[in-house]
Amino acid sequence: MLTEQSAYSNRWRHVSPVAKGCFSLCGIIAAFAAGSPCTALLIASILASVTVFGAGVPITRYMRVAAPALIFLLASGLSLFLSFSLGASISTISPHIAFSELRGITHTCCRSLTCLTALLFLALTTPLSDIISLLRLCRLPETLLDLMTLCYRTLFVLSEAVHETMTAQTARLGYASFSISLRSLGGLFANLIVQVWQRSLALHLAAQARGNDGSLRFLRNNYNHSCRNISIAATTGCLMIALTIILP
Amino acid sequence: MHIMEGFLPVKHAIGWSIAAAPFVTYGLYSINKKIKESPEQRMLLGVAAAFTFVLSALKMPSVTGSSSHPTGTGLGAMLFGPAAMAPIGMVVLMFQAILLAHGGLTTLGANIFSMAVVGPFAAAATYRVAKAVRLPFALSVFIAASLADLLTYITTSAQLALAFPDPTGGFVGSLAKFASVFAITQIPIAIIEGLLTVMVFNALARFNPVELRNMKVLTAQESQA
Repeated sequence: MLTEQSAYSNRWRHVSPVAKGCFSLCGIIAAFAAGSPCTALLIASILASVTVFGAGVPITRYMRVAAPALIFLLASGLSLFLSFSLGASISTISPHIAFSELRGITHTCCRSLTCLTALLFLALTTPLSDIISLLRLCRLPETLLDLMTLCYRTLFVLSEAVHETMTAQTARLGYASFSISLRSLGGLFANLIVQVWQRSLALHLAAQARGNDGSLRFLRNNYNHSCRNISIAATTGCLMIALTIILP
Repeated sequence: MHIMEGFLPVKHAIGWSIAAAPFVTYGLYSINKKIKESPEQRMLLGVAAAFTFVLSALKMPSVTGSSSHPTGTGLGAMLFGPAAMAPIGMVVLMFQAILLAHGGLTTLGANIFSMAVVGPFAAAATYRVAKAVRLPFALSVFIAASLADLLTYITTSAQLALAFPDPTGGFVGSLAKFASVFAITQIPIAIIEGLLTVMVFNALARFNPVELRNMKVLTAQESQA
């Protein structure tokens, strides 16, 4: 996964996740506080620049991660432009373009873009295991954190199993036509569910063998200059929010 | 079908998060109860969340030529129960937002409500009603999975319509707009996911009837038929 590759290889890999989470949260607040599309775009460019130039995430990788979301945003924006005039009956519905809503729709799209850059900052600089430890600090229920930890640790194993099964099915022309594809995919899912049962049982036995009697606990990482980095992130984040208040 | 990061106004984002919170809380309560009764459920539900994530990343064959992915809400609700699907759905949606930039953290509440609350509860209720009126097993599964998909997309359309009412048609006009725009892709997806879920249950009933009986999806009589 591109986000994971970047999260483990960027310059700020060992910066406290609290600092990165705090900066990302400030970015989201700034996106909602922005009074105009231009201000939202300014915040978006700051967040993207910090991710690319500060954390050293390659711009090509950044664009590849952002591209599907940007296409989705474009489609969502275009659907807002389309408006319907309702007549007396269902047959008299007439579609037209809502030019009067142009400013509002542009603002929504720019806000969404800014929130996306804030999310990408966190996703591309912080591994998911660090985000889970950050959520643990936020006192999220233990059961939810256990689900997240187990999900994160097994999704790559299941992805590999899916890839191998699909390769085997494709080699046997398992995806040659629509009906055969449907049957192959059904078989793949059923096989995967059986693997879910078997792997979860194996994990349970392994945990019991190590004396597990409750939630899953992991050692907490120590980050250098944690207080300094959190202060810098909070200050720059607050400056970003202040900028949205000052600018129109 | 996810609502994008930052797309909803702040009041709507908070409102949908509040609406989804009791379902997630009840889901966690029911999971904790299940774990107390049988501790191996902790691992099963964790791996089930990974399964749902992997499922949503797979491409489904589409009659229109475009690719689409299954939601797995109907399948998950019938296997693990609708209450458990709210926290599982929350984890999956959060992972999709962080790992794939699909959906978002500010729209998490709205997406949980449509995909992890409405979809699974609709699937479970439909499956029960279909079984009560003695419909064939395959037809019950098909209707439940398809309806879960359709109701998920209608809920998302309603969420968008509430946030962005049409300047002339209001909420109804906006709902008609979003529902008709998404219907082009979502109705074929719902039908295909329904068929796919039937294939999955047929394969499971044939090769793993014991597991389905243990999860109370099939009765002993049905699994022998």
